[in-house]
Amino acid sequence: MAGTTFMDPHDVPAIPGTQGWEKMYPYQYQFSKEDPERGAFESSQIWYYDGLHYPEPHYPFDLIWDEAWSLALSQYNTRHFIIPPALGIDHRIVNGYVYITPVGIPDQEVVAKRVPHFLERAGYYYQNWDKLYENWKKKVTALIGELDALNFTELPEMEDISIVTEGVGKGCGFDLLKKYDDLINMGLLNWQYHFEFLNLGYAAYVTFINTTNQIFPGIPMSTLTKMVSGIDVVMYKPDSELIRLARLAIDTGLEEMFMRPLNASGLTQELEKSPAGKTWLAEMEKARYPWFYISTGTGWYHHHISWNDNLDIPFDAIRMHIRSIREGKEVGRPTDKLVQERDRIVGEYRKLIKTDDDREAFEQALAVARTVFPYVEDHLFYIEHWFHSIFWGKVRQIGRILQKEGFIEDVEDIWFLKRDEVKQALWDYCTAWATGVKARGPSYWPKEISWRKGVYDKFKNWAPPPALGIPPDVVTEPFTIVLWGVTTDVLGEWLKGGGDGEGQQMEFKGSPGSSGLVEGRARVLKNVSELADLKEGEILVATTTSPSWAPAFVKIAGAVTDVGGPMCHAAIVCREYGLPTVVGTGKATHIIKTGDLIRIDGDSGVVTILEKA
Amino acid sequence: MSGKETRYTLWYEETDGQDFNHVGKKNANLGEMIKAGIRVSPGFSITIYANDRFITDTGIKEKIEAYLKELGPVTFETTKKASEYSIDLIESASIPAEIEEDILSNYNKLCQLAGTANVPVAVRSSGAISMPGQMETYLNIRGEKDLIAYVKKCWSSAYNVEAIMYRANKGTGFLFNIGVGIPKMVNSRVSGIIFTINPLNGDPSKISIDASYGLGEAVVSGLVTPDTFLVDKITFDPVKTTMGSKEVRCVYRDNGSDIIQADVPADMRQRLCVTPEEVRELCRLGKLIEDYYGKAYDIEFGIDADLAFPGNIIILQVRPESVWSKKEVTARTEKKKDPMERILGQLLTGVKLK
Repeated sequence: MAGTTFMDPHDVPAIPGTQGWEKMYPYQYQFSKEDPERGAFESSQIWYYDGLHYPEPHYPFDLIWDEAWSLALSQYNTRHFIIPPALGIDHRIVNGYVYITPVGIPDQEVVAKRVPHFLERAGYYYQNWDKLYENWKKKVTALIGELDALNFTELPEMEDISIVTEGVGKGCGFDLLKKYDDLINMGLLNWQYHFEFLNLGYAAYVTFINTTNQIFPGIPMSTLTKMVSGIDVVMYKPDSELIRLARLAIDTGLEEMFMRPLNASGLTQELEKSPAGKTWLAEMEKARYPWFYISTGTGWYHHHISWNDNLDIPFDAIRMHIRSIREGKEVGRPTDKLVQERDRIVGEYRKLIKTDDDREAFEQALAVARTVFPYVEDHLFYIEHWFHSIFWGKVRQIGRILQKEGFIEDVEDIWFLKRDEVKQALWDYCTAWATGVKARGPSYWPKEISWRKGVYDKFKNWAPPPALGIPPDVVTEPFTIVLWGVTTDVLGEWLKGGGDGEGQQMEFKGSPGSSGLVEGRARVLKNVSELADLKEGEILVATTTSPSWAPAFVKIAGAVTDVGGPMCHAAIVCREYGLPTVVGTGKATHIIKTGDLIRIDGDSGVVTILEKA
Repeated sequence: MSGKETRYTLWYEETDGQDFNHVGKKNANLGEMIKAGIRVSPGFSITIYANDRFITDTGIKEKIEAYLKELGPVTFETTKKASEYSIDLIESASIPAEIEEDILSNYNKLCQLAGTANVPVAVRSSGAISMPGQMETYLNIRGEKDLIAYVKKCWSSAYNVEAIMYRANKGTGFLFNIGVGIPKMVNSRVSGIIFTINPLNGDPSKISIDASYGLGEAVVSGLVTPDTFLVDKITFDPVKTTMGSKEVRCVYRDNGSDIIQADVPADMRQRLCVTPEEVRELCRLGKLIEDYYGKAYDIEFGIDADLAFPGNIIILQVRPESVWSKKEVTARTEKKKDPMERILGQLLTGVKLK
């Protein structure tokens, strides 16, 4: 890529009518030349748009997770495990889109000094992985319990008498403000835990990928996943619970009821009328916590709701499972077969290795990858799905208070406030309540939010350039390699891409998610509730897929997503189902229309529209 | 005894390598390949016994023996005369009805299988001892009448001057009965080559397939850029698929056996010439052949437009891979004392972008 450079990050043109957008996000997220040293650093780095996590521009509140991982990922590289050649990943925001850059250590002497610390610290984690991971599950589950117990209610007209008689000596206003801080801190702590193992997990995984690629050049990602994939994977549990409930419905004679065109509440009412139905509902209640906290998206955005937020989604999925079972189709994951298949694959690959050195390298890399892989797969459920789903619900409780008090017009307007601004609004609310006067919020926020919505819409119509700045010679940061898949090829594609997200684009590129080449009619689904429209053999086109979409995978011929990289969960699931998949196209749901004849190449990541509907 | 020694015809799948004395070596080998699960073009053998009954029942045998006595010692001149005499006798005689009916009944079964009347077949000589290239093989034979005529031509080709001389030098007798193979001509919609390794770097964990429309000629002689498929040999997951331009295809000229080139229509060029299921089946057969022979192989295949999947995938020719199997194998990874050193090594190396 000699001589390759992208636009200087300071030169990105502003979008007309968005002047002042910067106040929607933290000030340190701006590219700025005010400090010449920082400005020069910014110009000398490669900044790529994090389309993997963020297919849409950022809502001011939702940036909390970006800040949270900015702190957590980076600190574990830089300060905890002392990854020798890599510091953290720096973040900026341009026109609502997050750009990130890996920060390396050019001075080889510094790198060398970090080596013994890394061996000691990372070595400790690798050696005690299973014990530490067990402890991790306890910590995270306890934190989720704490989060679940947190509830936000309006301030009372008068404090309860017990506050006086028990000598509590503090008020509900203070409690509300404190609870808000607690909520935010829990969210940030959750993300500290998220990265406790992930950096080392990716380092081990990238070692496995590259070692096996040295021995078997071009070995597909799907094969590597099959070699290390866990069998009892938490991410598949929600779908297996749905299958259990579908079978229970069949076994207890309820299946006809499920075939009726009823939504979740209508069906629940019907079920409550019979003993079998009541038993079934009780079983569903058991499954709901935690398994229905699976998000219908990645969990990164507040509008990625969970099954618990809309029971129509799991009910529809159960209905699809009942149909599949009745048609005699295999549903769910055949775990016995997967174990056999995993052993066969590893066994056959072992036999192909021709030298002792390669055999030892393969065994070392495989063993470590297998140690770390359960975490790499399972953490998503705990953090992005379970925790986030509950967290978004808690923020909505606050939204309801602010709406009632006239600070915002709609509960969902709360996302247009930064988290610090929510705190300010709550202060405004609490002090006015304490004083017995009118708050300023109702005259301040609706106007501001209305302006921000206008800016946000303009952001939405802007196509963020895939990269800015200057690529380095070598990338050493494990996430940048494995998760975002930054390679020479990808940079080349970025260089080709750029400005024009619009018009009749007939071919575009994402990341190879799951190998294979397939042609078929597209079915563009904006959310999981439209799954019922899917027809056999169609190619699913969606912003993202998550395990909550699992019932669809027995029907489709392939999938294209806007978001995701080769290690994102959508790609892992599709590989398991053997579906050609292209992830992280950034724009498939905008360019492709339902009924278009498309071809997807899961090996090269190319999506071609062969015929417009 | 299986009764094979008195059969006039035997389907390939009824025979194996042990049956070379009944059907000839080439035919027996095809039976052996089918036993191993390697799919060859469907067909049958006309037995050596049928050839013997033909020359006995028609009196040809006696006539030739008498003529040979008349001719006296073997010289080039007498051999030529004996050859002409024998060939003429064989080609002008009628095959005993019982044998002819048997052959034609099998031929009609092949027509049924292919779903077409007068299905083109090959008529291939197959001796019980190896006589490379001494006898004839005829391609693209259509219809009952031609089939019978060419079976006789094939039998008579054992009396070519070269064949007679060859046998004389080996001390074998003048009279020589052979087996004849009648395989369906592969009506190659697509053909190509399978390598059971990656031919570019010798990686034994891949299968490489080149495929294009029409007869194998186009791929083998590099007339076209074929579609290429690199596949994981263990999981059959595709590793890399590229679409070739496939401008032309080679086909047999109508009612002839010579090959001509034809343009491939644009819409066919713009899609892959084989389906994912066909790729998997090709891989399965490639792996089977490699396992059967215990080493990497280079395999020619055709996909027959007349037959249904998976029976349409036909192996035409196999030979051992000759480049990488001769090279010395060295380690591809660096030695590290433990997994931590390996991870550290990876982190320090990173991924080069320039």
